[in-house]
Amino acid sequence: MSLSTAGAAPKRPPATGPKRPPRRPAANSPAHRGDGWLAWILIAPAMIGFLVFAVYPTLRGVYLSFTEFRVLTPPTWIGLENFREMFADSVFWSSLGVTVYFVVIAVSLTMIVSIATAAVLHRITESTVIRGLIILPFLISTVVAATVWSWMLDTQLGIVNVVVQAFGGDGVQFLTSREWAIPSVAFIHVWKNMGYTAIIIFAGLQTIPPQVYEAGRIDGAGESKMFFRLTLPLLRPILALVLVLNVIGAFQMFDIVSVTTKGGPANASNVLQMYIYSKAFGQFDFGYASAMSLSLFAILIIITFLQMRLLRANESETD
Amino acid sequence: MRKHHAIAAVAAVGIAAAGLTACSADGSDDGTVTVNWWTWDERAAAAYAECVPGFEDANPGVKVEISHYAVDDYFTKLTAGFVAGTAPDAFQNSVPLLGAYAEQGQIMPLDELIDESGYDLSVFDVGVESWQYTDGQQYGIPLDWAGAAIYFNQDMVADAGLTPEDITTMTWNPDDGGTFDDVVARLTVDASGVRGDEPGFDPENVETYGINSIASGDFNGQTTWNPFVSTLGWRLGGEDAAWPTEIPYDDPEFAQTLDYLRGLADRGLTPGFGEFTVSSAEMIGSGSVAMVQGGTWDSSSITQIPDVPVGIAPTVEGPEGRMMISNSNANNVFVGTQHVDETWDWVTWMGTVECQTTAGAGAVFLPSIAEALQSTVETQAAEGLDLSTFIQALEGGELYPAPPTANGQEIVDTITPLFEAYFSGERDEEVFAEMTTLTQDILAP
Repeated sequence: MSLSTAGAAPKRPPATGPKRPPRRPAANSPAHRGDGWLAWILIAPAMIGFLVFAVYPTLRGVYLSFTEFRVLTPPTWIGLENFREMFADSVFWSSLGVTVYFVVIAVSLTMIVSIATAAVLHRITESTVIRGLIILPFLISTVVAATVWSWMLDTQLGIVNVVVQAFGGDGVQFLTSREWAIPSVAFIHVWKNMGYTAIIIFAGLQTIPPQVYEAGRIDGAGESKMFFRLTLPLLRPILALVLVLNVIGAFQMFDIVSVTTKGGPANASNVLQMYIYSKAFGQFDFGYASAMSLSLFAILIIITFLQMRLLRANESETD
Repeated sequence: MRKHHAIAAVAAVGIAAAGLTACSADGSDDGTVTVNWWTWDERAAAAYAECVPGFEDANPGVKVEISHYAVDDYFTKLTAGFVAGTAPDAFQNSVPLLGAYAEQGQIMPLDELIDESGYDLSVFDVGVESWQYTDGQQYGIPLDWAGAAIYFNQDMVADAGLTPEDITTMTWNPDDGGTFDDVVARLTVDASGVRGDEPGFDPENVETYGINSIASGDFNGQTTWNPFVSTLGWRLGGEDAAWPTEIPYDDPEFAQTLDYLRGLADRGLTPGFGEFTVSSAEMIGSGSVAMVQGGTWDSSSITQIPDVPVGIAPTVEGPEGRMMISNSNANNVFVGTQHVDETWDWVTWMGTVECQTTAGAGAVFLPSIAEALQSTVETQAAEGLDLSTFIQALEGGELYPAPPTANGQEIVDTITPLFEAYFSGERDEEVFAEMTTLTQDILAP
């Protein structure tokens, strides 16, 4: 509508000119009359949703983390007690360790597999069907995917172990042994999310002007050299975005663990979100669970900030 | 034009708001009172539904609405209901949650109602004590009880040259394992057909295990180690029958028993911890085990496997006879109920010999009233299923009630990983002392 052109309507005085009087275009210009409240109405649905479902719960979560709150009785303020308890809680620290272990495996695998897949898609195939297939796992509900994988990875009945045994291996307890629990969960996570990440990177690849590659070829660079010297540097802003999103997503791992291992065996896959969940919804210790959530929030903010700075995510070579 | 849009938007918001109001409005009021009752077991829901017509006939103007939710969501939904005031009038509950709900005043103490109505709790043979809170008041009316039993593949037992009596009279002790050890070894067969008690047995390549894994993270070991260690006099609450201040995992006899049971897996007589993930009916049905120690609740399904005749035996007889822990589920009444009297009528109706007999006939649960259980056993016997060991357990004093504990869920969440660490071999005996210390912190902070 006319909203987008409205800013150009008043004549701009020359920059070096005398100080202009304070202008009130919304009041003066007929094009602006009554726009303010309409804008608010149009924004309202999104705004209300954001306030009710994001801002309020966050603020309440922050408040609750300083309280003893067992849901059925009103919260009581206990200051930093929850955080003191958290620093002394060995399960919290082991959960954090498990989570970091998971993030490292899951994110590095996702990045490598996604970049490789996207590059292959970009350079080899033009088929939209194949490009579409890549994203299929992402479209499946996580709970369904995790359930199916937990059957396939089952020690007795799983097809994966049938294959392992056909090649002369012993049955592997993918989801019921300490060594394998987190790698198995990470594998399911990568399988599930790789397509989505690959598609974003693929979109990024398409923004790289083909002339760059032409120039590269004229200068005598091979495919692999062009990949490392041209593609990766030019993709950096996209990769930074994808990395940040993946790290945040991996830190928040919950559903696959909840379906496949429930944090076991012996807390071997008890990621932080799982521990928070069992404290809150299992033991009704919402105050303590909120405190841990707040810590996770702080950790994510710091990590994201560092990533953005280190990767100079807001700059691009193609500009 | 813009004005029209704005009006439309306002109208849309208004309609949406009106719709929301309509949703929350109550239905018509024709004078009948509806009592809502919840359970997490769909089979129990169907069984108790058979008590409803009789109740509604006897109480005109009262209707009963039974709902069931899968156990994974049940307690979360219940909690949400407490907060919102929409919890059911009465509901099935499990002992570990008595402490949390009573402490926070969400379930009603029932002593006054019991006195007024003259309801006689002595009708129950098990479970009443499990539902007394620390204030001495009764908070639950028992529904069913559950314990452990041993199910055996009759063909495999015969093939091994054993008789059903050998299984139903197994003895056990922590030193040499008694006849239980002999039977399990005899029933175990390796890939080349050598039995567990014969020379040349290969524990690495077992075709059929003698019994399922007697290992789990379960804090009370109901269907795993409890029926063994309890025969030595060990009790979950130690000296205390209720509200214990610690769980004596650090008892030397406990360590000795667990060491024996963990050793069964090392000897190739049971699957390793976490190796089998399927249900006990699937294990015995597929022939990968010859016996299963499982819950009494398995009895009606595990005996229905086509072409696999399964017999039921009691748990092992130890130095002090047979003994196991029994969990008693009970009816609790929500403090927020609007219809206390009608709810109480329904709860006490469920706790009668008549209703327990009707609902219990299909053996989907074991009634806490011996008379009703007897009737269940007779009904099932007519259909060829022998449940008499459960009568013997109830009437012969072979079970002790699970003690109610404070912070039940925290105990479960804390102890489970440590048991898993023990059974997977990550930790050894020293873990038990740590477990007891942890339970002291949680039970008596």
